[in-house]
Amino acid sequence: MRKYWGVFKISFEQEFAYRLNFILWRVRNVFQILLTYFLWSTVFANPTTQIFGYDRTKILTYVFGIMIVRALVLSARAMDVSSDIAQGDLSNYLLKPMSYFKYWFTRDISSKALNLIFAAVEFSVLFVILKPPFFFQTNPVALLAFAATIILAILIYFFLLFLISSIPFWAPEIGWGSHFLVTVVIIESLSGSLFPINILPGIFQSIVLATPFPYLIYFPVEVYLGNISGPALIGGLMVAIAWTGVLWFTLNFVWQKGLRVYQAIGR
Amino acid sequence: MSRNSFSVVIGQKLALSVFLIGKIFRFIFFFGFLYFLLVGSGNLAGYSSNQIIFFFLTFNLIDVITQFLFREVYNFRPMIINGDFDLVLVKPISALFRVLMGGADVIDLITIPPLIILTIYFGSLLHPGLVQIGLFLILLANGFLIATAFHIIVLSFAIVTLEVDHTVMIYRDLTSLGRLPIDIYQQPLKAFLTYLIPVGIMITLPAKAIMGLTSLPEVLIAFLVGLIAIFISFKFWNYALTKYSSASS
Repeated sequence: MRKYWGVFKISFEQEFAYRLNFILWRVRNVFQILLTYFLWSTVFANPTTQIFGYDRTKILTYVFGIMIVRALVLSARAMDVSSDIAQGDLSNYLLKPMSYFKYWFTRDISSKALNLIFAAVEFSVLFVILKPPFFFQTNPVALLAFAATIILAILIYFFLLFLISSIPFWAPEIGWGSHFLVTVVIIESLSGSLFPINILPGIFQSIVLATPFPYLIYFPVEVYLGNISGPALIGGLMVAIAWTGVLWFTLNFVWQKGLRVYQAIGR
Repeated sequence: MSRNSFSVVIGQKLALSVFLIGKIFRFIFFFGFLYFLLVGSGNLAGYSSNQIIFFFLTFNLIDVITQFLFREVYNFRPMIINGDFDLVLVKPISALFRVLMGGADVIDLITIPPLIILTIYFGSLLHPGLVQIGLFLILLANGFLIATAFHIIVLSFAIVTLEVDHTVMIYRDLTSLGRLPIDIYQQPLKAFLTYLIPVGIMITLPAKAIMGLTSLPEVLIAFLVGLIAIFISFKFWNYALTKYSSASS
């Protein structure tokens, strides 16, 4: 455990090596939130408007909720695994007396901790400037369920990232390309970080909800808002748990196959 | 230079396919969500569905064409850090032209024709007159001028600061606020996006011209901002060159 604590601390400090870069990365997050915030603020300009099952308070809470949930779920370093594989640097880690999965999971947690601190500051500043109506969830069951969905979302994202990062075992030239396709395009669009999934027509909603992506952002925020409760909450949690299991088994299978074809190219 | 750049990308067919699919998916997803949002809400900030879609398409047109032309900007920082920029400076070609337009992106070239067709189609649904179309094209050209100025400023910034990785991405995040008309933003953000980082002049104003929603003073200010932006960018580039330290070479 002590060695992973060491990895956590080093990884945390490493983020500060390029402070300006990190701050600019956070500034980029704020710009993304601003577009979403003002888009929905305009749609719900009339306080009595109710569409897609939201009122002004809940939709703006959804937007602010995205800031915190994104920091907790989508902040990660495990995408660097693909370059480790493509450049042969994976060999260095395989020789060390520690689990490669746990090493990157620890680094992810470190990244989440740092991003959460900054997201909390941004949340507070934007909250003071924009003064949005905010829905405070007080139901302990909903808050507990929200915590559970966040843990599942973190695991799903970690396994997804590792799976995508495993592609360079077979096709090293598309390491960044596959991350662009899955993490930048598909996850950004289908996780609910841009638009809540329930603005889609029923058939599209069902298709998207059958994938692991909405369980990263949309599902946790909806659970916080209390829009998903009772049997729908249990059903959603079961799907998220099922995806966590499927992705974990798939990752283990793919990783073992990958290690067999790994040639440490570039070393 | 562009031929070489195309050859490199076409040589990696799998990577090209993945990036192309990603860019098409990203467009379809946002377009789809915007469409369903407008179906549910009826309009946005007083604009009809077709008008909002036209704003989105105008943003994409400027974004994709500038990425196609100025892709090399994304490769500039390593050139500065390694000192490889020396090799550009000694060649008998404009160094600015080389680092700005020396690597056109074939992936964006593929997506431009369908985007132009979509823009023409949704533009025609707004029934513009010849004057409005002419004004749209001129303001679009002015938008490209401002985009060029920003890319030159990003290049200059890379020489002066070295440390900054995200400058060009911040420019893209700022311009992405123009995916929707800047009328949806509150002050002072709206003023910021109109005059300081003139996203409104680059993207919103040309789209408004098609809808007949521009005034003569707005158009004149737009051209003035375009000229000032390109003038400042050249000045900054010349200043940045004096700070180039040829590190690591």
